[in-house]
Amino acid sequence: MEKAEKETIRRVVAGDRDAYRVLMDRHYAAVFRISFRITGNEADAEEAAQESFLRAYNKLPEFRQDAAFGTWVTRIAMNTAMNLVERRNRDLSVYAPRVSDDVGEGTVQVASHRAGPERVLLDMETATLRQTAMASLTPMERTAFTLRHMEEVGMAEIAEALGVPVNSAKQAVFRAVAKLRRALEPVAGGMR
Amino acid sequence: MKHYSEEDLIAYQMSESPEARSIGEHLEQCAECATLAESIAETLRVFSAEPVPMRTPVDMDLSWQRLRGNLAVLEAAPKKRWFSLWMWPAAGALTAAIVVMVVLGLRIRHAEQPAGGQETANQRASVTDALKSLVGRHQQAHPVNGHGPLTDAPSDDPQISAHLDSAERLLTTVNHEEGPLDEATRVQAHDLLLKNAVYTQTARDRGDLAEAAVLDNLGRVLIGLDHAAETPRSTWQLRLEMNTDGLLLDLRVLRQNDERRSSR
Ligand SMILES: [Zn+2]
Repeated sequence: MEKAEKETIRRVVAGDRDAYRVLMDRHYAAVFRISFRITGNEADAEEAAQESFLRAYNKLPEFRQDAAFGTWVTRIAMNTAMNLVERRNRDLSVYAPRVSDDVGEGTVQVASHRAGPERVLLDMETATLRQTAMASLTPMERTAFTLRHMEEVGMAEIAEALGVPVNSAKQAVFRAVAKLRRALEPVAGGMR
Repeated sequence: MKHYSEEDLIAYQMSESPEARSIGEHLEQCAECATLAESIAETLRVFSAEPVPMRTPVDMDLSWQRLRGNLAVLEAAPKKRWFSLWMWPAAGALTAAIVVMVVLGLRIRHAEQPAGGQETANQRASVTDALKSLVGRHQQAHPVNGHGPLTDAPSDDPQISAHLDSAERLLTTVNHEEGPLDEATRVQAHDLLLKNAVYTQTARDRGDLAEAAVLDNLGRVLIGLDHAAETPRSTWQLRLEMNTDGLLLDLRVLRQNDERRSSR
């Protein structure tokens, strides 16, 4: 790890709270980005990012400086954001829409042929469809999928951050894609 | 012609397939698999990354102010790795075979134990014991008398999968953690505990005693974590140490069964 960063960490651990801002400024964008991918909205991303930096701060005295702080806090963010999705799902589970695994029953219906002028409407529907489909994933599936597909994080790294074996992370990603594909079937029309 | 499964093709489209070459060749010749592969590719395109909202300097200031208000002055903590012994078992074939036997053995033992019984290191049954138990498995299955507060009723299987997911992850996190449990982890343990009671009951009602036994055991570990604030650290750590590795394997087996069931 870079010397200046090590020095900053040493100062924070020695009791200089304001020095932590240097670390936050430098790594906030990456942490926010990961959190945004996983939570899917700005407010939750901010909350997850805050919590990640707080967790990292509280664990800083135990932080082994052989890894980069940025990698470490980003990993914490992956976990924290997933936990937040979990909490949200729990709060919403009573009335949240659910995309069924089976074709037909319970899937979101979106008209497949739209004329040009209604393009905007279609886009809005697509956005809703995306959100609904994403909401049908378990927090683990959602997290593993967004990290792998949208952020191109390697499976091994995802598995380590989420504390599961690599194969579980892979399975979660594949399950996610299968579910999302089914959710799209009403729009995709002729596709299997 | 042997076709590829959806999962094979998903792995292929995500560049995670070990047999990418033969799949590629197959797709050249097979319209059916090619259609499915294209549908997967389309899904991946639809769910591609969207732009991340910009953070302005003002946002950053606000974020910092919020965070700063939560920062306590740190005191350098003594280095103590209390769980360094825990390691993921290597996934060799031999290990896998032993794991399956031990898991089966543990399950029967769980099923035989009344709820709330103390677990000891003996519980890591020897392979011989496990095999012996395996023979008498069906005759010996007794109902498990677990208990717990009922909260909301679970509605379907995906929720159980998600529950097992979360439990597995929580235990793994706690196992890897150093130092005291943080507030968020304890809250999570508490939430899982409430849900777990419902799922345990559901499994028992369904007559799935093996699942009920594992969930019951999970419940006991979660109670330990939930009460971690009040009890001396050594107590719950010890409890955790004795319980979790077998339990984690149980959870994984359970989840896989669950997934197989729901994919049928
Ligand atoms: Zn084929």
